Amino acid sequence: MTTRQWGALLAGTILALIAGVSVGAVDIDWRGVAGALSAAPTGEAALVRYLRMPRVVLAFLVGGALSVAGASLQALVRNPLADPYLVGLSGGAGLGAVLAIALHLGGPWAVPLAAFAGALGAVAVVYRLSVVAGRRLDPHILLLGGVVVGAFAGSLMSAVITLASASELRSAMLWLLGGFGMASWPAVAVFASYALVPLGLLVGSARGLDLLTLGEENAQYLGADVEALKRRVYLSVAALTGAAVAVSGIIGFVGLVVPHVMRRWGVPLHRQLLPAAFLAGGAFLVLSDLIARSLFRPLELPVGVVTALIGVPIFALQLRKSLR
Amino acid sequence: MACPGVPSPCPAHRRPPGSGRFSLVLTRRSAWLLLTVLLGAVGCVGRESTPGAPAIMAVDDLGDTLRLATRATRIVSLIPATTELLFALGLGDRVVGRTTWCDYPAAARAVPSLGDGLQPNLEAIVAAQPDLVVLYNSVQNVAAADRLRAQHIPTVLVTTDRLADVPRLARLLAPLGGRAEAGDSLARWFEAALDSATATGGGHTRNVLVLAWDQPPIVIGAGSFLSELVERAGGRNVFHDLAAASAPVSLEAIASRDVDVVLVLGDTMPAFARRAEWMSVPAVREHRFVYVPSALFSRPGPRSPEALRVLSAALRAGPLP
Repeated sequence: MTTRQWGALLAGTILALIAGVSVGAVDIDWRGVAGALSAAPTGEAALVRYLRMPRVVLAFLVGGALSVAGASLQALVRNPLADPYLVGLSGGAGLGAVLAIALHLGGPWAVPLAAFAGALGAVAVVYRLSVVAGRRLDPHILLLGGVVVGAFAGSLMSAVITLASASELRSAMLWLLGGFGMASWPAVAVFASYALVPLGLLVGSARGLDLLTLGEENAQYLGADVEALKRRVYLSVAALTGAAVAVSGIIGFVGLVVPHVMRRWGVPLHRQLLPAAFLAGGAFLVLSDLIARSLFRPLELPVGVVTALIGVPIFALQLRKSLR
Repeated sequence: MACPGVPSPCPAHRRPPGSGRFSLVLTRRSAWLLLTVLLGAVGCVGRESTPGAPAIMAVDDLGDTLRLATRATRIVSLIPATTELLFALGLGDRVVGRTTWCDYPAAARAVPSLGDGLQPNLEAIVAAQPDLVVLYNSVQNVAAADRLRAQHIPTVLVTTDRLADVPRLARLLAPLGGRAEAGDSLARWFEAALDSATATGGGHTRNVLVLAWDQPPIVIGAGSFLSELVERAGGRNVFHDLAAASAPVSLEAIASRDVDVVLVLGDTMPAFARRAEWMSVPAVREHRFVYVPSALFSRPGPRSPEALRVLSAALRAGPLP
């Protein structure tokens, strides 16, 4: 990746962040936006400071985290179709959230925490399934196990929805579709401090991921502790994605497409791919959320709808160009 | 066909209605409702005196004509609002099936429940041997109604979303049970009671936020009877510009809407009052909540005038900004 490419990526990211805080459900001029940076903002500036800014920052962090998780998982299982939600997480998270709502668990954080617990529960089952003969983590079983555990949790979720009170659970489904409506500075702080560890572990595993793309055996010959690496990468991906679900529901497509786009843009090595995917994924989700909350204002689209509507054409165009 | 006494909906009411439990199927349903309106299918009832002809006729909200040879004696009502209405019309003893949500009046709970009413259990309905089935006018139920009619079970599809639906359905359903006068008198009583409970000018108009859900925020729009109650209680629904019964909106939009009070259906402080992002809505930050008993506000029906009085009093006594 050239310096020029890095410059373009950084500039694009900064522009996306500025656009994100400048546009929203309410028209606020640049004075209001700039006023948000003052010590004690009031009126519109307070709106920007306490609603819009944490929302933009959270979208950026979640987009970045999902892209890094997707890039790492794709390298781990050597399958370009791998999406961080494919490893059983979304089903588990959905089940957790729906149970929390059906059981009327109190407290402002009950639903996100239950979604997080559900995601990690599903991951634990998949992980146990995939550890063959007590030692080796089989990437294929990881994917298969993820799909079946996800389907199982999804069916349980549908059963709970059918049996419990309707209106609240429909709302739970909407929550699962994803969005940043519940972003706040405390949520940003919790997510950022939590995500640092798995993000650091993944970036630290960048060279190992490069070796893994050559095949497990070759990676072994080249000096990588393959089993430890796979376990570290998988658990980091799961922890990162679980946290993303907890703060923003299930936002598909970012973790699948952004790593591909960056690879085709000429960033094959993970040492560069992971940071580049973080920036691109963050900017992409900030812009998607911007569209989701301002296109039909005051109505709000689920952000996952927008990520797919924008992401698919970009991806298809690039795929076509690269095949030519 | 002439429909004496049936109030035709005013243009303001020709919006996609919906509320409460059905709130999130609105988008799909609104197409049907639009169709209903275009077909001019205002439910109305007439009687034919020709000997040998069906004794009772009704047109449901989808525009289908129903003919009953004799008055219905075994009614399955799969909408909480119509169950309540049938009991109020003195037809309660003929209700042989209800939904799990039909909880009023208390006597309704003694009727066997046939499911949640959203995806009707056809076998259970047929087993109840009804001679009239009342279903909510939704896409899934249209198919169910066709299958019931194929079994020669008279079925009506009705919409129960707005206050005007109460007298309208009283006049639609009562004649099917042979109690047309009860329907007329309930309809007249309802309209008069609602009008007399409606706040008449004076005082400060409260800007009211009515939430259907908080994560993500879903607000009640003009298409819901809750919005009608708020407006009649001397309040103003801050999202009266949204035609739908409910819609997901940005928290930013809520924060900028100058909300005086938040209507809470229930008696406990909502959990979102403790979430950081909601602190940007001054009414939530300052706990300007108006509490009303949720049971009265779960559906439009004969209790709506009482709900209106309770809401008016609560709004008058509620916290001022």
